[in-house]
Amino acid sequence: MQDILLNIKGLCASAGEKEILRGVDLEVRRGEVHAIMGPNGAGKSTLSAVLSGKPDYTVTGGSVSFAGEDLLALSPEQRSWAGLFLSFQYPVEIPGVTISAFMKAALAARRKAAGLEELSAADFLALMKEKMAFVGMNPSFSKRPVNVGFSGGEKKRAEIFQMAMLDPVLSILDETDSGLDVDALKVVADGVNAMRSPEKSTIIITHYRKLLEYVRPDKVHVLKAGRIVRSGGEELADIIENEGFDKF
Amino acid sequence: MGHGRYIEPPAASYVLGAGESLELSFSVMPGESKDIDISVDLAGEGASFDLKGYYILGEQEKVNIRVRVHHKAPRCRSSQTVNGVAGGNAEVSFDGRIIVAPGADGTDASQTNRNVLVSDSARVGTTPQLEIYADDVKCSHGATVGKLNEEELFYMRSRGIPEREAKVLQLISFLSPALPGGENGAQEAEAALRRIMV
Repeated sequence: MQDILLNIKGLCASAGEKEILRGVDLEVRRGEVHAIMGPNGAGKSTLSAVLSGKPDYTVTGGSVSFAGEDLLALSPEQRSWAGLFLSFQYPVEIPGVTISAFMKAALAARRKAAGLEELSAADFLALMKEKMAFVGMNPSFSKRPVNVGFSGGEKKRAEIFQMAMLDPVLSILDETDSGLDVDALKVVADGVNAMRSPEKSTIIITHYRKLLEYVRPDKVHVLKAGRIVRSGGEELADIIENEGFDKF
Repeated sequence: MGHGRYIEPPAASYVLGAGESLELSFSVMPGESKDIDISVDLAGEGASFDLKGYYILGEQEKVNIRVRVHHKAPRCRSSQTVNGVAGGNAEVSFDGRIIVAPGADGTDASQTNRNVLVSDSARVGTTPQLEIYADDVKCSHGATVGKLNEEELFYMRSRGIPEREAKVLQLISFLSPALPGGENGAQEAEAALRRIMV
């Protein structure tokens, strides 16, 4: 198994005419938790969107390899099958599609891609129940349309639930901590910590140090004006918290 | 009058007496061109009429739907829910009219026609009309022609649901208010959606 899970080299991307990423370099090894911090407009959400294959962005340069594959050549669904998961900053509401139907379709497609049989109805329900309990979600949510009418905290909890269901190799949390109270933050942190393993990695994109007190990162990066301008250990998060991003 | 009948158009007209109720449904499947013309007179007090209809088109179909509901007596109720998916070079026109006659007080009438276009060359024209000549009535109508929501689509794909499956899921949920009750209706609609979402 390759030690380097994600290798981003010189990644440039734009939205329409606007260049947002201007040569991002990042190497994530298996088992590591990385934090990417940066001011508004630095390109943090663009980076997560480009990695997950959002059609609104154009990659204009650079390369991304994921578990040895050319990530940028894959469709969003293929990226998911390969083990990439993005927790959305703004989870999308899907009226009329229940969480249960949503997860059933997602798991079925994933298992099909891996050449596995579909889970039996009983096994699927047991898995749902287990993972809902894991994030402290009321089981009645399984019958509710995805994210419709959920509070901010419930939406983030539902993202972590989906993450646990899909059991990704690389999780990217895009500002999952924003707007959460301490209890919801702990749910997110517990979810991430429970899934830490020598094979799996996590990228936490955040403005604040708070989540990093619960999920201790191996590496911290500062993203500014579309580039990673500084990398270091946990101490970097303290410097940012105390002094802001101006000095970088 | 019987309940829950499935109509095979071209044309059907009904007169409902006091306290009678009628439920109609129709569907138009890929490859079918149809003219559907439904006319219902709510002629006796307290009559009620419900219509559900859907179309799933993806070829060269031409579908014209005309629904006229005439509230002639007091305290009658009617609802129409007609949703459709149009792809390929399909052409659809929906012409729905609710008339509330003088003296038909206490009328409760609603009509919706919602459409999703899944190709650039499909055409849908929808004209809901209300003519109200009575007092104390509750009437609503709504018509939309739109496209699939791209944000929802990407969200589903990011969870590993293939694009085509994601579209089918979205469209089934969009059509569901207009599907006649029971599992069979949903399964038929789903199969038809798979045929047009290539």
